[in-house]
Amino acid sequence: MFAVLPETAFACPVCFDANEENRMAFLATTGLLTLLPLGLVAGVGIWIRKRARALDEPQAPDDRGTPDSV
Amino acid sequence: MNASSLPARRKVLPDGVLGMVVFVFTEIMLFAGLITAHTIVRTGAAAGAMWPPYGQPPLPWQETALNTSALLASGIALLMAQLEWKSRGRDRMVSMLVAGAAVLGALFVVMQGREWTALIAEGLTMTSSTYGALFYLIVGVHGLHAVAAILALSWGWYRTHKEKLSRNQLASMAVFWYFVVLVWPIIYWRVYF
Repeated sequence: MFAVLPETAFACPVCFDANEENRMAFLATTGLLTLLPLGLVAGVGIWIRKRARALDEPQAPDDRGTPDSV
Repeated sequence: MNASSLPARRKVLPDGVLGMVVFVFTEIMLFAGLITAHTIVRTGAAAGAMWPPYGQPPLPWQETALNTSALLASGIALLMAQLEWKSRGRDRMVSMLVAGAAVLGALFVVMQGREWTALIAEGLTMTSSTYGALFYLIVGVHGLHAVAAILALSWGWYRTHKEKLSRNQLASMAVFWYFVVLVWPIIYWRVYF
């Protein structure tokens, strides 16, 4: 779409800006705001999975923690 | 299929802690948006312009370093309270460490208030420039979070003192306080320098 309509791409500050520093800031913050929520959800998902596996492993009776405490 | 034939549900994380983690996610996105706005405005202004804008005072990063250390110390105190509870149970030391975390957090807020008073006297206000507006917005939103967390910590200290606070309640408060403590160095780095 942007290849067909280059003027449209030029209106986007990520694609074109007279100030290179500003263009890079747009690019970096677009990446940050896109990846941050995905990273947060993936991170907590992986952590919960690891914790669930750790709780599934058999433990010595006196070493068993309460599952509802952190 | 009746309820007795279902497999037993196992909690991997206490409800309160999980709820606080989800809430903190939304808060992380709020601060990411604010810092993004600051970065874009600042780089936009950098083209042939000054930052801070002409006539606006620079931010006192040296004094704020002291505030930052008080806030970080507060986070460490709360971490020590959690470790103490884990190793020795809810004793007097836990209560003292939670109180210490709340006092250090309050010290941070008071010192930030003094900084704001000095900056307003120097002419930096919400309406003096975009620089001032963004500074007060970002630091103010963080300050409101800090005040809310300090109130929660004070309630936590009272409950600990009365031997009524549960470990999960402390963990939920700690998740929020660690967020408030850890987001500050990022704000300090992006806004003050």
